[in-house]
Amino acid sequence: MFICGSDNAPENQNRDGDDESWLAMNAAPSIKIEHLSKRYGATVALDDVSFSLQPGEVCGLLGENGAGKSTLVKVLSGVVKPDQGVVWLGDSPYVVKDCQTAKAHGVATAYQELSLIPTLSVAINLFLPNPETNAWGMISSRRVEQMAAEVLNEFGVGDISPSALVEDLSLGLRQRVEIVRAMLSKPRLLLLDEPTAALSDREWLFNLIDQFVLGGASIIYISHKLDEVQRVCQHCVILRNGRKALEARVKDLSSNQVFSSMAGRSVVEFFPEKATSVRKAEQDVLRLDHLSCEGLQDVSFSIKPGEILGIAALEGQGQSSLFKALVGLMPLKDGQIIINGRPRTISSPRSARQAGLVLVPEERKTEGIFPDLTTRANISLPEIDKLSAAWLVQMNKEKEWVQEKAVKVDLGSEYIPLPITSLSGGNQQKALLARSLLTDPMCLLLFDPTRGVDVITKQTIYKIIREFVQGGKAVLFYSTELDELVHLCDRCLVLYQNAVVAEVPRGQLSQQKLLSLATGQLSNRTQDGQVAENKV
Amino acid sequence: MKATPAKQRIAAPPAVFTREITAATIVLAAAVALILIMKLIFPSFGSLAQIAAILVTSIFLVVASCGQGLTILLGGIDLSIGVVMSIAGMMIAGLTNGSNDNLPWAVPLVLACCTGIGVLNGVGIALLKIPPLLMTLAMGTTFFGVALGATSGSLQQRVAPALQEVMSSHLAGIPVPVILMAAFVVVVIVGQQRTAMGRKLYALGSNQTAARIAGLPIVGLTIGAYAISALCAAISGLLLAGYSASATLDMGDPYLMPTIAAVVIGGARVTGGRGIYWGTFAGAIFLSTVSTIITALSLSQGWRNIIQGGIIISALIITFIQSKLSSSGN
Amino acid sequence: MIPIRINRLNGAPLAFALFVAMYIAYALHMPSALSLFSITNLFNNTVVLALAAVGLTFVILIKEMDLSPVGVIAVTNVLVATQSGSTPYGALLCFLLCCLIGLGIGLINGVLVAYLRLQSLACTLSTMIICQGVALIILPAPGGEVAEFISYQLTDLIGGVFPVSAAILVLVAALWLFLRRTSFGIGLYAVGTDEVAAHYSGIKVNRIRLGAFALAGIFYGLAGYMLSAQIGSGDPRVSSSFLLYVFAAVAIGGTSLSGGRGGIIGSLAGAGILTIMQKMLFSLGVSDFYTNIFNGVIMVLAILLGNSTALLNKWREHRENFASSSYLRGREKQAGSKQAEATQ
Repeated sequence: MFICGSDNAPENQNRDGDDESWLAMNAAPSIKIEHLSKRYGATVALDDVSFSLQPGEVCGLLGENGAGKSTLVKVLSGVVKPDQGVVWLGDSPYVVKDCQTAKAHGVATAYQELSLIPTLSVAINLFLPNPETNAWGMISSRRVEQMAAEVLNEFGVGDISPSALVEDLSLGLRQRVEIVRAMLSKPRLLLLDEPTAALSDREWLFNLIDQFVLGGASIIYISHKLDEVQRVCQHCVILRNGRKALEARVKDLSSNQVFSSMAGRSVVEFFPEKATSVRKAEQDVLRLDHLSCEGLQDVSFSIKPGEILGIAALEGQGQSSLFKALVGLMPLKDGQIIINGRPRTISSPRSARQAGLVLVPEERKTEGIFPDLTTRANISLPEIDKLSAAWLVQMNKEKEWVQEKAVKVDLGSEYIPLPITSLSGGNQQKALLARSLLTDPMCLLLFDPTRGVDVITKQTIYKIIREFVQGGKAVLFYSTELDELVHLCDRCLVLYQNAVVAEVPRGQLSQQKLLSLATGQLSNRTQDGQVAENKV
Repeated sequence: MKATPAKQRIAAPPAVFTREITAATIVLAAAVALILIMKLIFPSFGSLAQIAAILVTSIFLVVASCGQGLTILLGGIDLSIGVVMSIAGMMIAGLTNGSNDNLPWAVPLVLACCTGIGVLNGVGIALLKIPPLLMTLAMGTTFFGVALGATSGSLQQRVAPALQEVMSSHLAGIPVPVILMAAFVVVVIVGQQRTAMGRKLYALGSNQTAARIAGLPIVGLTIGAYAISALCAAISGLLLAGYSASATLDMGDPYLMPTIAAVVIGGARVTGGRGIYWGTFAGAIFLSTVSTIITALSLSQGWRNIIQGGIIISALIITFIQSKLSSSGN
Repeated sequence: MIPIRINRLNGAPLAFALFVAMYIAYALHMPSALSLFSITNLFNNTVVLALAAVGLTFVILIKEMDLSPVGVIAVTNVLVATQSGSTPYGALLCFLLCCLIGLGIGLINGVLVAYLRLQSLACTLSTMIICQGVALIILPAPGGEVAEFISYQLTDLIGGVFPVSAAILVLVAALWLFLRRTSFGIGLYAVGTDEVAAHYSGIKVNRIRLGAFALAGIFYGLAGYMLSAQIGSGDPRVSSSFLLYVFAAVAIGGTSLSGGRGGIIGSLAGAGILTIMQKMLFSLGVSDFYTNIFNGVIMVLAILLGNSTALLNKWREHRENFASSSYLRGREKQAGSKQAEATQ
């Protein structure tokens, strides 16, 4: 049963201290995950993952992008079927065909991408797929809204109107509705996937979680925010490359241990020599003057020739808008982009390319590769006109140019004539980098280029970045792995709430510092005033 | 991703288009098989003259389907092809009026006007974001109305003799249209597979988002594809007018659905990104063969439609099965 | 906060306003338009397009295409023309037959699109061609005769006051107001807006798709039945102009071609608008020849209008989202910064 506002208020309970004795009383694990495996074609998403949860326990699930967290969530929620493995809920095996059966078994999920239907009201969304109907099978809005109002009040979000359409709510409020909906069905296992991504008031969620587990249900809490995991979870599992890299009690773990398990400290040893090639005396390759657009507020910075400028930010803090604006995918509201001293109007990726800016996008599958073409055709595309004479593509010249760039990115020549979809993620990313190098840009814009890429390829990408800036070019480099930013960048900007909150010079770069700045805890600015009020 | 540093295993077919070429050749083989089966049942069927006739009459579909193939490659469709064919035929007949005098300027004019219709299609689709189905259907209907108003729908009898000559003469025993068709096929295959524009069209059809980020001129390519489609329809209309020695306002209608069928049978993906002209050509030949057989069997128009529709559905289902098999084989 | 009703109807109130305005303009030009005879005529002329547009709306709502209306109408029309005979139950049997055929074709389309995930355009194009073929086989040339009961009674009045066609449309509207509030109705909007979210929310997406096509088919069958009543004979030919009109009616009525928005009520209004426009053009003496051009241009304008309503909504949302979120963000930020202080 859901306990609400009773003597078991959170402040009366010392979770850490009473943990062991309380849980010892309920020794049998309520959720057991055994040998779960899932592959998509050549990609292994989950590889023999096993762990278990006690009743009333909150288990954190950590891992970088591509580690397998979302696949695990999908398997547990009934969206995909695992290739191997069993999940036990209490004493019965849990076999799901679809999302509705999952709910019936007592598993509910608050998804990262939000599973609400924007054009329907909050009330209807809360009770999907079967809101209460009368004898005729019709849904009475008034009745449903009434029920929704009660529920929303119960969960402490009474200020959200039940008749409001989800699309009219801010992202933060939508996330709350998503969480409330998942908790509403009183599941035995609650999956929270990055639940605080858009929330500013996290205490609301932590209170709910504290109360929720009192009934004996368990929670799997997926987040990349360490401080949250430390606050709410007793137990934590770290995935890397689809495998369980670490499982431990939270209080036994240090932040450093977590980082190294997630990314693999061994990678640090393979970072290229941190030589600097910044040419301070020369003119900026790229300068932004008070750039504002949707999702970005008054950003100014500059990059010198030979410099690698890093961007550190949690999800959705404006980095996406920044990169889009630089290639003309986002209209500017204010400000200027100045390349090599000349202000340029960038209206499309085409004009950005002509100005010398090339973007290597975030999602290679949807935004990068052309799945029906060969790797060679994928790489040569931007310069295909230059490779043609009398309308016909000169195949030999194409082979030559592509081969030259492929060598630079360490892409084996046996992969080049193949369809690009038969390449691994790492090789595809290398192909995209080769494509970006083909037009000889002034400044490379890299958006999380090592996402979902194996360790060896990551090293190659680091090498490519370093080599690129040798000749006086520049790189703007956004990564979700702080390790990379610390070891590759000459300087690093931190974005928080759509604005630049800090600039960290080389000497002060550390993962801890970047993390603190990115989560908004330390700031070069004052708490409430400087970061602009009106943001969408 | 696996953490192993070893090179990934190469488990893919050697070339991108092998599957399509094989599929297309199978379709051609099917056409031949049909003729052979007919010959078994009706020994008088399948004489050299008849086969020549099949090839000659297939040129209209072969030429018109080229354009349809391009629009489908981009994930769109062109429903104005039938009307454009008719307009081209009516225009050339009206302008030449039974003599060859005006031919030198009439032909370019007709081609230019019809390409203009294609440009309008492209503009509406790329700039106004109107779905291709509806834009081309609307343009087709509109220009049908324009042509109707201009000609009052009357039959045009007087097509330039030169055009008629081309369609009925022989060169070294082979009908000229067949030679023209062969040349057309070669030009289109080279154009689609080996030119920069062809490459860009494939990229755009494969992933529009990536095309935008890679800086491809999406509007220009779209307009270009629909313009070429209208141009092909116009050429086809000219040839048809020459062959029939007359032109009517609905002479292009029977060819519209078959162009779509030809592209689909040829193995193209209807949502865009995949498909080669060799496949479309094979599909056109196959459909022409089927059409001749239907006429030989004296089946009514109704049966013709049912068979055509059935062929398209079968092709779609076969493609579906093929993709299911190949993905589960991974 | 914006209540559900207005947003869901979207372009429908606008469409209705336009319809009323046009009717008034028409009546001013031709005073005889206000007579019961004229009104009955108007409804009779509109009912076929309206029913077809209603059917198509279900499919467009789930973000799919359907070219089969004209095919189903052709088949059902020729069947009624050849089978209705003059037996008293012929009319009822034909009615059931039309519904069943429509349902059957709709189910075939639905299975192919929902379960085999074939592209809806190519798939429904083929079923349309097949239907046309079947129609031609049943009745190779326009002809046949529709039973008197159908062609007289169904174009007439109930109790001498209310046109049968109007009654049918009222029933359809009532059916929609009911359907819209059922799980199925909600499911239609959900699937059309965001298929993945709908799936995650537990909605059976495939069933909804199948249901939409099946329902559409039934309405196309009904449209064919009413067409038989209107023209009194059978015509196996499929008109591409009519197909254009059906899409135009749906688009004018505010149903977005990208799914998830709109409804039947708007499509009914859209059908009305198109019919009145035709009547106006005719009464103004515009030649028949130009109706084709008119059809094409109207189609384009209808879609542009539909696109602009969607854009207008987006702009409105953006502004309100901006306003409300900045206020709430301010509140959340205050709470958040207090928390940040606490954890330091």
